[in-house]
Amino acid sequence: MAPVPAKRIKTLSVSRPIIYGNTAKKMTGVRPPNAPVEHTHMWTIYVKGPQGEDLSTFIKRVVFKLHDTYPNPTRSVETPPFELTETGWGEFEINIKIHFIDEANEKMLNFYHHLRLHPYKQGENPVVKKESSGEEPITEVESVFYDEIVFNEPNEDFFKILMNSTESVLPSNKIESQPFSRQLEQEDVDRLSIGIRKLDKEIEEMKEKLTEEIASG
Amino acid sequence: MSSSDIFDVLNIQQPKSSSPPSTSTTPGASRLPKPQMTGMQRELYNLLGDNSPSLTVQKGSKFKDKLNALSKPSPWTLAEFETASSVKLRHWVKGSKELIEEQPQPRTFDKFNTKLSIPTFSQEEYEDFMGDEKEQVALKEWTFDEIDNLFNSCRKYDLRWFVIYDRYESSKQRSLEDLKELFYLVCERYFIKQEPENPLLPSLKFSKGRELERKNYLARLLSRTAAEIAEEEALIIESKKYEMAAKKTLSEREAILRLLDSPNSEKPVVQYLSSQGLTQLYNSLLVDKSRKRKHDANAPENPWMKQQHHFAQQRQQMQQAQDGKKEAAANLATQANKKTKKQRQEMQNAMKRKADSEYAEHLLQNFTPEERSLLGVQAHGEKLTPGVFLRSSKLPVFKPAVQNKVNAMLQELGLPSRPAMLTAAIVQKQEDLLKRVMTLLDIKKQLDKHEAEKSATNEIS
Repeated sequence: MAPVPAKRIKTLSVSRPIIYGNTAKKMTGVRPPNAPVEHTHMWTIYVKGPQGEDLSTFIKRVVFKLHDTYPNPTRSVETPPFELTETGWGEFEINIKIHFIDEANEKMLNFYHHLRLHPYKQGENPVVKKESSGEEPITEVESVFYDEIVFNEPNEDFFKILMNSTESVLPSNKIESQPFSRQLEQEDVDRLSIGIRKLDKEIEEMKEKLTEEIASG
Repeated sequence: MSSSDIFDVLNIQQPKSSSPPSTSTTPGASRLPKPQMTGMQRELYNLLGDNSPSLTVQKGSKFKDKLNALSKPSPWTLAEFETASSVKLRHWVKGSKELIEEQPQPRTFDKFNTKLSIPTFSQEEYEDFMGDEKEQVALKEWTFDEIDNLFNSCRKYDLRWFVIYDRYESSKQRSLEDLKELFYLVCERYFIKQEPENPLLPSLKFSKGRELERKNYLARLLSRTAAEIAEEEALIIESKKYEMAAKKTLSEREAILRLLDSPNSEKPVVQYLSSQGLTQLYNSLLVDKSRKRKHDANAPENPWMKQQHHFAQQRQQMQQAQDGKKEAAANLATQANKKTKKQRQEMQNAMKRKADSEYAEHLLQNFTPEERSLLGVQAHGEKLTPGVFLRSSKLPVFKPAVQNKVNAMLQELGLPSRPAMLTAAIVQKQEDLLKRVMTLLDIKKQLDKHEAEKSATNEIS
């Protein structure tokens, strides 16, 4: 029973930050009762706000499509937190489908996340944390991505809902457990700006070189 | 199942097919007086159905009913009747001998035995009533004897002309029409003399020419060959077809004219039934249509007006001093009216965009820029593709070969291939960066190519 689609607000876009990714831990000793023997890792895939907020103000449900070898590979999470914990032994692409609330009158969002179970050699984007729990250090692998959901020309009802839910915003400062913040953004911007400046310089140099070449040739 | 069904199955002629179906109902049911019931009871009774036996027993013998002669047979008498001649004739008459008198009755058919009263006249009388008419062409050849002869035979054969003609004997060759003509002419003259006021006088006029014509026609009609008859019938059918088609076209034309919403349609359609009239109508409709089309061309103005209206409403909403803008818009509108359609359309779109973006701005007027960026709200001021997407999907992608080069260059710069924070600003920056990377790669490629060429030419020389 879709409500009557409200008028879209033209030329306006609203974006909401989300974090999606997975954490994985090697299973030692304690195993879930029904986990198959060959499963070595326990992992959790999630979709949440940058500070772990509940996104149910505009997300109705999240559907995770697991590898076909799992029983009932299509797992639908209808209530927050939008996360799913499973055991497994291998990495694969998880298809994530985000369905928005009925008022939004938007199509679902469809994207993939590569499930990470094993740490990278050199930490790039996924953050590897060391946790010293007890005598045996267990490495928890985390592969998290920051992204923003952009609603182009949302309809008026949905716009109001979005404007009234201000909880899922970026924090201003970076903290240990939650790196995504305005600070990180600024760092990224700065880094990119530096890169752009470098490139500009290089382009100029190359241009000169090329003109010289052409002139001499 | 009733007996009639069985008869039907066994293919037996029903003995009393003419009897009404009420007789075939069960005798028991008919004997019992049907209880007078109303409402639900009657309905229930009806549900019982007729408890008819599988076979109806026909009562009584199948023989003809015995003659029950209650009245005495009426008496008939062989009675004599009057005849003209000396012969004695008798016939059966209903009634007893006593009832019918002894003397013979007058014959019933005597009243039909009538004679025509053909005038008789002497030669003197003839000369008298004919007068100068005797000089007429038709009469010249006739002597009185001949005329008298003719009248006699007319009297004798009761004006049965074919018989008269057959028996007529004369030295001169005369046709049947000649005889008729003369007879009627003489009769007319005679009666004019005798009783000039008689209203039946004009009926004595006889036109020989007409009669001949009629006979000729009849002769021709009767002497047609089979082929001619067939042809005629075909022609008749053809003509009927044409008539039908004409009727159909007439009605269709009328329907079309009624359909065409022209003011002329109220008038009768007769004036358009000729081809000339139709052409005239067509022309008038064409003019009408072109007029309408002109009106249609004006139709796109309506959304424009709507837009203006919308705009005005928004202005009210905003409650801001934008009168100047509005005037500008109005000016633009008047200008646009003079411009071509395309320009007008463009202007319209621009206006619409402006109105839209103003509306969006109006929605955001309560937010400070910081709040806006915090909420991720952005007014673009131009038309967007409606829908939802992930910011990361807007990152530029390259062909695998190019992507590798780009990645290598990014690594060189110490940048990740994908920024961690995909905010709007960063995506914008990343795009800029990648654009530069592409430019640099292009220049490098050109340089390499040039150097290769140069070395090649150096080697040759």
